[in-house]
Amino acid sequence: MSEIFASLTEMTGFGIIGWDSVLMWVIAFVLLYLGIFKQYEPLLLVPIGFGVLLANLPGAGLGIVDNALVHNADGSYMNLLDIAGKHGIMNLLYYALIKTGLLPPIIFMGVGALTDFGPMLRNLKLSLFGGAAQIGIFSVLLAAVVMGFTLPEAASLGIIGGADGPTAIYTTIKLAPHLLGPIAIAAYSYMALVPVIIPAVAKLLMTEKEFKIHMKKMDKQYPPKHDIKHLKTVKIIFPIILGLVVAVFVPSSAPLLGMLLFGNLVKEIGANTSRLAEAASGPIMNTATIFLGLTVGATMTAKVFLNPQTLGIIVGGFLAFAVSVAGGILAVKIVNIFSKKKINPLVGATGLSAVPMASRVANDMALKYDKSNHILQYCMASNVSGVIGSAVAAGVLISFLG
Amino acid sequence: MDNLNTALGLLVVGMVTVFIILCLVVVIGNLVIRLTNRFIPETVPAGGKSGDGGSAGKKAHPQKLAAIIAAVDVATQGKGSVESIEKK
Repeated sequence: MSEIFASLTEMTGFGIIGWDSVLMWVIAFVLLYLGIFKQYEPLLLVPIGFGVLLANLPGAGLGIVDNALVHNADGSYMNLLDIAGKHGIMNLLYYALIKTGLLPPIIFMGVGALTDFGPMLRNLKLSLFGGAAQIGIFSVLLAAVVMGFTLPEAASLGIIGGADGPTAIYTTIKLAPHLLGPIAIAAYSYMALVPVIIPAVAKLLMTEKEFKIHMKKMDKQYPPKHDIKHLKTVKIIFPIILGLVVAVFVPSSAPLLGMLLFGNLVKEIGANTSRLAEAASGPIMNTATIFLGLTVGATMTAKVFLNPQTLGIIVGGFLAFAVSVAGGILAVKIVNIFSKKKINPLVGATGLSAVPMASRVANDMALKYDKSNHILQYCMASNVSGVIGSAVAAGVLISFLG
Repeated sequence: MDNLNTALGLLVVGMVTVFIILCLVVVIGNLVIRLTNRFIPETVPAGGKSGDGGSAGKKAHPQKLAAIIAAVDVATQGKGSVESIEKK
């Protein structure tokens, strides 16, 4: 009888709850609170938060195990059935869907099916500011190396500055998978904080006169050289040619950009492929998001998360974000010195990927200074090109450090 | 020190590559727009001919027309089309 009671305590998790598990629960609750009640990126923070909770349930075996534990004695990877049998279903999902790099491109396909290249095609020159805003990625890479991170870790940290969750996750899977949890959390948290970060940096760097630069009046004063007479046709041809060219220049960015452009193509074709576009942007993307969030959350066991590197990632991620916003604004300011047609520097601030939140925030800021100054479509040009820019930056980092 | 040099190199190579690709975006975009403008025959805008009822005598502004067509395209997911626009 006493043996049964003794094994009862072993059956429950009470005996193995430590302070570190409790701390991880608190972190999970904070993430769930931010997602549910504050509505900060709820589609990602809720699954990630719940994944953190699952991973830190004592004795449940739902945390992602170290890479070394899924290898056979001869150094080869275990097959998925063995991983599921030894380490549970969460590890099966992680090693099948995340470690292989499958889910981020799948999500990119959905993003492509939701993206409209129209504003970018109407304001092609503004898309260059999507490049300037990638400076945060590379400057924080440099700073992280000085702080003592290895090059692949520093690159994974810097990519947070691209403000693109799937890109950050994809790069980290390829370069520093042991940092996946903290980097995904930092990337999505800062994306949720775009309405705070962009105004703060913009107010620091822009004058009132610059906030009031009226884009439509500038367009009337200096009209574009040619109209787009066949926008629908252009939108269909553009992703095909762009995909081909980018894949030749930076092949390692093709998994992300190729899927983005494919998703966009099936959307732009219209009725004939609308079912594909609906599937890509609906059920497929939603399913991928659930598994991505849960498994990324499950990588955050106490052993992985509670170390000084995590603090470095949180600080470095913020810096990468802020420097990217500043880079975009300063690039516009430099162009304005030499150009007659002035551009509102807020257009540069949206060179981050965070589409369309960054554009909405910038538009709201411009409207505060001048109620007739609607800059949304101009911001979307640099915003959408920022998605391309950050995927290319990720491709460069993966080709050199992967 | 080696790592720092590599990081500096990546900064230069990375930013240059991003700019080259975005310049290509501009070039490809312009090229596709010009080629389609030149080689695809212009379709008569819906309700654009004077004297065919609807907006007779008063052509709709091309940008407004494009916006209406785009809105209908999005709302009907490419299945609908604009046949005429009447001002009431």
